[in-house]
Amino acid sequence: MVTALAALEEAYARRGAPPAASEGRSDGRPLVVGYVGADMPVVLLTAAGVHAFRLTGDPESDFALGDRYLGRGVDPVARSVLARLLAGAFGDLDRIVVSHDCEASLRLFYALRELRRVEPGAGLPETYLVDILHLPHRTTARYNRRRIGEFAARLEAWTGRPLDLAGAVAAHNERSRLLAAVAELRRAVPARLTGRQFLAVANAALPVDEHIALLEQLLAEAGELEEHAGRRVFLSGSEHDTPHVYEAIESEGYVIVGEDHSFGDLSVHEPIGAAGLDALAEHYHHSGPTAHRATAGERAAHAAAAVRRCRAELFVAYSRIADEAPAWDFPAQRAALNIPAVLLERQEYGRADLAALRKEHPCVV
Amino acid sequence: MRSVKSLDTAAEAGRHQREWFADLRRRVAAGEPFALLNADVPHEIFRTMDIPYAVSQWWASLVTAKQRSGHYLKLVRQRGYPDYSEQYNSVTLGSAFDPEPEAGPWGGLPKPDIIVGDASGDITRKIFDVWGQEPGVTFYPLESAAENEVPVNWWELVPHRWEEAVGPARLDLLTAELENLVRFLETTTGRRFRESRFREVMALVNEQEEWNRKTHALIARARPAPLSVVDSIPSVMLPQWHRGTEWARDIAKRFYEEVRDRVDAGQAACPDERARLMWIGRGLWYDMGFYQRFQEEYGAVFVWSMYLAVAADGYIRYGDDPMRTLAARFAAFSDQLYTPPWSSEWYVKEARSHGIDGVVHLVSDDPRGSYFTARALEAAGFPVIEIHADNVDTRTFADDVAERVGQWLEKVVLA
Ligand code: SF4
Ligand code: SF4
Repeated sequence: MVTALAALEEAYARRGAPPAASEGRSDGRPLVVGYVGADMPVVLLTAAGVHAFRLTGDPESDFALGDRYLGRGVDPVARSVLARLLAGAFGDLDRIVVSHDCEASLRLFYALRELRRVEPGAGLPETYLVDILHLPHRTTARYNRRRIGEFAARLEAWTGRPLDLAGAVAAHNERSRLLAAVAELRRAVPARLTGRQFLAVANAALPVDEHIALLEQLLAEAGELEEHAGRRVFLSGSEHDTPHVYEAIESEGYVIVGEDHSFGDLSVHEPIGAAGLDALAEHYHHSGPTAHRATAGERAAHAAAAVRRCRAELFVAYSRIADEAPAWDFPAQRAALNIPAVLLERQEYGRADLAALRKEHPCVV
Repeated sequence: MRSVKSLDTAAEAGRHQREWFADLRRRVAAGEPFALLNADVPHEIFRTMDIPYAVSQWWASLVTAKQRSGHYLKLVRQRGYPDYSEQYNSVTLGSAFDPEPEAGPWGGLPKPDIIVGDASGDITRKIFDVWGQEPGVTFYPLESAAENEVPVNWWELVPHRWEEAVGPARLDLLTAELENLVRFLETTTGRRFRESRFREVMALVNEQEEWNRKTHALIARARPAPLSVVDSIPSVMLPQWHRGTEWARDIAKRFYEEVRDRVDAGQAACPDERARLMWIGRGLWYDMGFYQRFQEEYGAVFVWSMYLAVAADGYIRYGDDPMRTLAARFAAFSDQLYTPPWSSEWYVKEARSHGIDGVVHLVSDDPRGSYFTARALEAAGFPVIEIHADNVDTRTFADDVAERVGQWLEKVVLA
């Protein structure tokens, strides 16, 4: 057994759970911050020295309260996150920060802000919106720079300490460099990691320095990793904040060797050039291309390049119910690809319509 | 049954709309540029530059009223796009895919050269971007930015103190985007942007909306209601698409006078008025008769819809710098209607001022802050019934809605 992989898997299983550090809290403990969305300037959270973790949903737990406050027209992930917040599933949060990475996150922010105003008894912590936008224009760049500056100032006000930007940028660049190397293991033929394993490795709930140490160890142990010879799938579309869909697809003999959402390959990025707010603002402006913020053309070009790079044999576009942006991308993506492509649309949270997958591609299994 | 004849201004607005569209088709056929604009973008710039334009949502409502939305959604589907996603905009996209565009309502929508829409939600930008891939079409997107903290009482602040209500970050952004839009239009159409003309247009818009404000206040006070929303919607909305013209300002004034005359003469939408209803949500374009269905049996009149109310409260902006003032009209426009606390507190204020007895709330699938609206109204003592449907997609409208509303009127509102 590869020990680093086991440790990362174990940390992934703890995702969205209250961090160990918050138990036995004393005055010196760091602020615990839960964050939402692909556009969160995570480097700033690290630079502030807060204990930050991404809030994720759970397709198996009840999210009726989320339905109630957000309506059923919102991506169920946001509804689940809200229900879990109200149920206390994330433990004792000091702050919630939300990014505007998609409509559902923005709606979640508005619901949290309004619940705090009209139902103070719900006990929700202060909630802050970081509004990073993505039109590829200088007007947007200047706006983002202002929002990054405001968020940095807010974090300093929360902690009473200056940010350690240099340290945070260095750590995140290092983590991303290591993750890129791990992603190559999955892209190898045959794959040395499954998609499900890569999700765990990339999203292990660990402080950045501990994450880096385990990634280094994993790379050192790469020779011991198993080979996975299944049919190679590129998974496009909705975000997967839980392993359910990966497990469902891979249980059919596929191996997911690449994807285009922020819990997967899109979390690997070019190094952030300088340890300043200008560079950070540019970095987050250019992140993506996610289904919610990029154009269909950008998504198609990205899909073509990514499919080639990971030598995928089948392209699966997945569009969750109430998360329809991926379905709009699909026609251009299919036209840009030279491998078979299938769209799974209006999928239930945490599920994949495997019958549809089999029907479209009878020879696969 | 209609107890009074419909408004002259509604008929005049309908006639003008047909003439305007025929003229627009002539101008475009003669080689002038044509812009398709989303409702929430600053039309005033196109008005100032005299660039012919049409509003995407107006076209969608026309297509729907002509029972053609299904046809266009089918064309969207044939191209491989979803036909269940943001239909208000995708219906319009469908008209771009029509092999026989002339068969559309009123001779069909001409092919646009320029499309302007804001990047709100996850889908709007995609839809217009897909359209922008058609040869000869350029899509100019505007950002849809959001603010952390806002003062609640926007309707008091926005006419003059909009900087405070909207916040400088969003205003700086949209002002810069609009300055760039002007340069883009000057370059691609060869038209000039004259500041003096811009100021005239901005003044005409405020005058028009000030008339709407007076009409709105009059309807709020009058008992019984002099007209229902079926009459007020065309008299408000069609001129709204011509904002910044003298015709629109003048017809807003005549609409006011017509309503005032009705009030003075004691005319009523429903003489036996027993319940005053509020309609929250977009117009039910495929079944406008719905709004009058409850008058005869229950004496229930829809006296309020957002169209006149937002004309009264949502558009007026005064300021010395016309571009920033224009940005202030649109930088947070949809928050007024859909984002709590702005939306929820405003609906409560409106329900109070109109003496509302019950609220019918159309909840569409696209995500809007409906829970908080209903909660605020109920907390303030107004009964609310929710209808789940899409306002341009008839497939989503259940057969039993009228029956449910009738039962609710009996058991809750009139009990
Ligand atoms: S490593 Fe990169 S993607 Fe991951 S959290 Fe840090 S900055 Fe974000
Ligand atoms: S069904 Fe046909 S297209 Fe699909 S994977 Fe098999 S051979 Fe390829």
